[in-house]
Amino acid sequence: MSGYPPVAPSYKVPEEFLFLCMLHNIGAVNTTRAITIEEISKWTERETSEIQYNLSKLQELGYVLTIQESRADRFHVSPSGIRKVLTLYS
Amino acid sequence: MRICLLSWEFPPRIVGGIARHVFGLAKALVKKGHEVGVVTLDFPGTPDYEEIEGVKVYRSKTEVGHPNFLTWAFLFNHFLEKRLATANRDMNFDIIHIHDWLVAPAGIAFKHLLKKPLVCTMHSTEHGRSTLHGPDSYMIDGMEWWACYEADRAIVTSNSMQGEVCGHFHVPREKTDVVPNGIEVEKYDLEVDRWATRRRYGVGDNDKMILFIGRLVPQKGVEYLIRTASRIGWRFPEARFVIVGEGWMRSHLEWLANQTGQRWRINFTGFIPDSELVALTKGADVMVVPSVYEPFGIVALEAMAARVPVVASQVGGLAEVVEHDKTGVHVYPRSPDSIAWGVERVLSDQGYRDWLVKNAYETVTKRFSWQAIGEQTAEVYKKALKGDNS
Repeated sequence: MSGYPPVAPSYKVPEEFLFLCMLHNIGAVNTTRAITIEEISKWTERETSEIQYNLSKLQELGYVLTIQESRADRFHVSPSGIRKVLTLYS
Repeated sequence: MRICLLSWEFPPRIVGGIARHVFGLAKALVKKGHEVGVVTLDFPGTPDYEEIEGVKVYRSKTEVGHPNFLTWAFLFNHFLEKRLATANRDMNFDIIHIHDWLVAPAGIAFKHLLKKPLVCTMHSTEHGRSTLHGPDSYMIDGMEWWACYEADRAIVTSNSMQGEVCGHFHVPREKTDVVPNGIEVEKYDLEVDRWATRRRYGVGDNDKMILFIGRLVPQKGVEYLIRTASRIGWRFPEARFVIVGEGWMRSHLEWLANQTGQRWRINFTGFIPDSELVALTKGADVMVVPSVYEPFGIVALEAMAARVPVVASQVGGLAEVVEHDKTGVHVYPRSPDSIAWGVERVLSDQGYRDWLVKNAYETVTKRFSWQAIGEQTAEVYKKALKGDNS
């Protein structure tokens, strides 16, 4: 026994982070290009419930920003979210 | 010379070391009397065109996206090409210098279109970052090979990277040049309120601040540093860890920090701007660079310039930047025991710490100033323009 805490048996890129990457790659990176949940669903072929779940997690962490509108809220990746995405590829 | 630097990262779009490298190189080349245009991707709040300290910066918007990363990368290269065309109309470039595979398609296209030499800096390789796995990884590896193949000269930042690039991609050694990363040493000579900065990150005046700066990804080896928290905390109850940076591993690392039972002494700051980074580095008692793969390790240079002792893994270019027992302390990669030993060695002996810091500062000013790196890079451009492959 080394006395050190164990390394988790396996870890992989978290699901919400992969979702953030997709949101970034489709171009939702500023207020003018923010998109609705329905549009995200069309782009990514994901269920709206799954999208809502990921968006709320990412909003909490400050990686996604919301523009509230009467018809439907629109979402885009924040500057800190963009930096977070780029760490995967840099 | 009229030089085009092509990079997907440029301030304020800062992720790793490439943005700082390209900006530092661009400014050094301008100071030497060259005309420099940087063509890069946009970032919220930045203009399409601006001049910063004599560097002309052209930013490109990616108007069409795709959820798949590689498809997106090829799309942004198309929009980069459009911006490159505008920049070339303004500046009529003599040479194109690309940084990493992400901008290779645009750079290679322009090499053939303009019939101008192409220089490529390989900052790291997919093979080294993650070992090859799956179709995307093999494709990135192929793109890196392609960039080296098409380049008239390939720059690498360390002897270790030269071995990696020549060995893995079969690039002739005589086509490569080792030009290290540079640093603005004078940036670290500014007076800062060390104590106030430390307090902002929860570090008291009598605490020992152990600093990590980097992307929170496996290659940086942060988990091995976090696993030392109990041992170092037992030896130095006043030890505080400050982990600066972002990355997909952050939630895992925070989980690991909780497992140590020492979470209270570990502060994850996330991304912080450059101005604050200088003050924070100068406030540290020791900088740890626990990377498991590191082609260069610019963060070690930053600590050396800030007169902070460095404990660094003995890997890749990092082992060339830091000389054991002279300008820093080498430790074994992936070994919390070894990292803890290195930190304890530095924190427990003020005389030794002063000796390391003095040597490191001398080395960084002599070997790694941007003035020297700018001159070496300009020599590579001259070779490329002459078609000299020796």
